[in-house]
Amino acid sequence: MPGEPAKRQKREAYKKGLEEDEAALPKKKFYRQRAHANPFSDHSLVYPKSPADMDWAGLYPAHAVKKHETKASHDLSLSEEESRALKAITKNVEIADIGCGFGGLLFALAPRFPDTLILGMEIRISVTEYVSDKIRALRSQHATSAAQDYQNIAVLRANTMKFLPNFFTRSQLHSIFLCFPDPHFKQRKHKARIVSYTLASEYAYVLRPGGIVYTITDVRDLHEWMVGHFEKHASFLRVASEEYDGEGESDVRERVRIMRTETEEGKKVERNKGEKFVALFRRVEDPPWPED
Amino acid sequence: MTLPYQCLAACSRSTGDGDEWALFGAAGSELVVQSSTGIASVWPAEESQAKNREEAQEPAEKRVKLSPAVEQKPNFTTLKVSHDKKHLIGTTAEDKCIRVFEIEAGWRLKQISERCMARRPCSIDLTSNDSTILCADKFGDVYSLPLIPPPEDELNVMPESEKAQKKFLPSASLSTVHSGRNRKVLEEQLKQAEKGRPQPKDAPKFKHDLLLGHVSMLTDIVSATVGSRSYIITVDRDEHIRVSRGLPQAHIIEGFCHGHEEFVNRLCLTQSGRLISGGGDAHLYVWDWLSYRLLEKLPIQAAVLDYFQKHPELELPVPEKEGNFKVAVSGIWNVPFGNSTEEILVACEGVPALFSFIPGSSPSLSQTLPLSGNALSVAFIGARTAVVSVDHMHKAGSTTQIRDDQGVSRIQCFSIAQDGQWARDDTLTEPLAWFSHDAGEGEHADGRAAGTDDDTARAGFSKKVRTILYGVGNLRKRPEAEAEIAT
Ligand SMILES: C[S@@+](CC[C@H](N)C(=O)[O-])C[C@H]1O[C@@H](n2cnc3c(N)ncnc32)[C@H](O)[C@@H]1O
Repeated sequence: MPGEPAKRQKREAYKKGLEEDEAALPKKKFYRQRAHANPFSDHSLVYPKSPADMDWAGLYPAHAVKKHETKASHDLSLSEEESRALKAITKNVEIADIGCGFGGLLFALAPRFPDTLILGMEIRISVTEYVSDKIRALRSQHATSAAQDYQNIAVLRANTMKFLPNFFTRSQLHSIFLCFPDPHFKQRKHKARIVSYTLASEYAYVLRPGGIVYTITDVRDLHEWMVGHFEKHASFLRVASEEYDGEGESDVRERVRIMRTETEEGKKVERNKGEKFVALFRRVEDPPWPED
Repeated sequence: MTLPYQCLAACSRSTGDGDEWALFGAAGSELVVQSSTGIASVWPAEESQAKNREEAQEPAEKRVKLSPAVEQKPNFTTLKVSHDKKHLIGTTAEDKCIRVFEIEAGWRLKQISERCMARRPCSIDLTSNDSTILCADKFGDVYSLPLIPPPEDELNVMPESEKAQKKFLPSASLSTVHSGRNRKVLEEQLKQAEKGRPQPKDAPKFKHDLLLGHVSMLTDIVSATVGSRSYIITVDRDEHIRVSRGLPQAHIIEGFCHGHEEFVNRLCLTQSGRLISGGGDAHLYVWDWLSYRLLEKLPIQAAVLDYFQKHPELELPVPEKEGNFKVAVSGIWNVPFGNSTEEILVACEGVPALFSFIPGSSPSLSQTLPLSGNALSVAFIGARTAVVSVDHMHKAGSTTQIRDDQGVSRIQCFSIAQDGQWARDDTLTEPLAWFSHDAGEGEHADGRAAGTDDDTARAGFSKKVRTILYGVGNLRKRPEAEAEIAT
C-alpha cells in the first residue's frame, strides 16, 4: 500500500539512491506493507500463460541458455519458439518458498544448496521488491567470486493459490516450503489459507514423487489444520519426525534446521519465546488407474 | 409477457411406434416440457404454484426485504438430461440448489430431490454411469453427490468433516503475538470458547464430497471417459483448464491445457473426443487434451464482427471502435448428428446468430445462422434438428434495450438439409407453437410487472431478466477491480 505522500516520496528517493549503488543492501523499513493481501482478488498480476512462457533467464541470468543475446525475450518480432528459447535456463527450479516474505529462508538456503535453483514467491509487491533488491545486491557483492553466489535464488510476485501451475510443470519441484503462513483465524476466511485439501492437489502436481512439503507455524490450530488437510490427501504421507529432527546429517535435516531459524517470522517467534510446530509431508507415487 | 428460455435440454426415446422426443425449457423459475407426441406441461404445476404464491405473501415483514416478488423464486441456470434419459437435473441460482427430476411416463417432471449447496452451482455434469452428479461452484470447488440421495440423507447426517471438529479451541495462543488485530481475534475466540464452537453456517446436511478445487470461480465442468479411464475437466475465470482423474481419484491432477489469455466460460467435448474451449478470448481453442496440446484456434470474434458488419441494422455493442469489441462465448454445443464431420454450434452473449464451426476444415467457420433475437441456448431433437432459444425481449444485438416488436417467437428451429447445411425448419413452428409463445406464466404471478406500459416497471423487469440471461461478460477481469468473494 502506498503510504501518505511524504512517506512515499521518501521511499522513492531511497530506491533511486539504491539504483545507483548496485551492491548496497536494501533496508526493510522502506518496503513494509500491510500484512494481508486478498488471494481472491485479481491484483492485476502478471503471470506467464504456461511454464514454458516464463522468463526464467531474466530471473536466473547466470543460468540462461543463451547468455549473450542482445534481443529481449519480449521482442514482438520473435516467434513464440524463439522468445521461449531466450527465456529458457539450463536447469529447472526445484525448490519453491511459497509466501517467502522478506526472504530469510532463500538467503540461508542459497549457499547451502548452491547447485539447486530456488524460487521465492510472494504476493505483496513491496516485500517482493525488497527480496529482489537484496538478491541483486548480494549478487553484485559476489560478482567476482568463482562460485557465482546467489545466482541460484530469485523471487517473483505471484498469487500461488491461483497460479502455481502457470510457473511449474508436473513433478518439477523436490521441495516446497510453507513457512509461517498467514493464519486467517476467522472461520469465514479459512478458504484464504494457503493449505487446504484442494490446494494439496496442486502442491502434489508440481512436486515429484518423493518430494516434500515443509511446513512450520507458531499457531497450533493452523498446524493442526495443515496436518489434517495433508493427511486426508492421498498424495501425501506425513514424514516421521525422526527423519528431520535429532542427530545425523541429511538434506532434509539441514532444510528443517534452516526453516526453524532463518525466516523473519521464525526469528520473531524466537524473540517472543513462542512455540514452533513443524510438519513435513512426502508426495507419494500416484496409484495405478482403477481397472487399468 | 413470457420470459425467454435461458436454457434448453432435450431427449429422444425409441418407443414401439418409432422415435419420440421431448424438449425442456427453463424460463426463469419454471420448466416447460413439450413432446413430439403433443404432451405439454409446466413445472411447478399450477396448484403448487398457487401454494407458493400464498406462502410468499404470508410473513409481511419478510416480504418487505424480498422485493420484487419474482426474485423469491429461484431461476434455473443449467439443465442436463441423464445419459439414460430417466432424469433431468437443474440448478437454480438464488437458492444454490441442485434439483433432480424424474422424467415420468408421458414426459411429466417429478422433482425427487432438492439439495441446496453452500455455494452457488455454476455447472454440473454426470458421471458416465449416471450415478453421480459433479457440481462445480462459484467458490471454485467441485463436489460429488449421488444422483439419487441415499436414504440416510433423510436422517440429517453430519458430514464427517464436521464431526471431526467437535471441540472448539482457540486458534491463537497467548504466545502468538503477530499484530493487534490478531490479539483481538484471540480475545474474541476465547470468549467464543466458553460458548462452544460456532457452527459453519449453512453446511448442507446431505451426502456431498469435496473432490477438487480451484481458487477461482469455476465456469464449467465436463466428465470424460477414455477407454477404462475417467476424467474430470474443470475451467475457471483465471484461464485454467484443468484435467483431473475421475472418481475415485479426483484428487490427482493430470495436467493443464495452457493457452487462454482471458476467462474460459465453456467446454465442449466433440464426437472424436477433442476438447473445445471458449470464453473471453477472440478464438475458441481446440485441444488434444490428453496430451494438453493446442491443435487449432477457431476465430469466433472475427466471425461475430463479420456478422455485425453484414447486418448494418444491428448496432455493434461497441460501435466507436471495432478494436474494442470483445466476444463472450456463452455456449458451445457438439452437433450430435455428424457421421464423419464434427461440428459445433457456438453462441456469444448478446449476438443474434449461431456460428457453426468444423474443426480441422479450412476455413473452420462453416456457416452463420442468423436469429431473430440474441442466441441463448440450443438443444437437438430427432436426427437433424437444432432448437434454438432466442431473447425475444431485448433488441437483437443488445443486452439492454427492450425491443419494440411483440410476439417474437422464443424458439427457432434449424434442420440439416440435403446439402449438409443448416436451413430454417418451419415444420416445427406449429407443433412447438405453445412452447414458443404461451407456455409459462412469466410475470403474471407477480402483479403483472411486465407487459404493462409503466416504464419503470418495464425497466425493472428488464434488469432482472438481464441478470438471468447475461452474466458472461462480467467474467472479464477489470484492471484493479476486486473480485468479489462469492457466497
Ligand atoms: C506471515 S508471512 C511469512 C513470511 C515468511 N515465509 C517467513 O516465514 O518469514 C506469510 C507471507 O505469505 C504471503 N502470502 C499470502 N498469501 C499468498 C499467496 N496467495 N501467494 C503468495 N504469497 C502469499 C504474505 O504476503 C506473507 O508475506
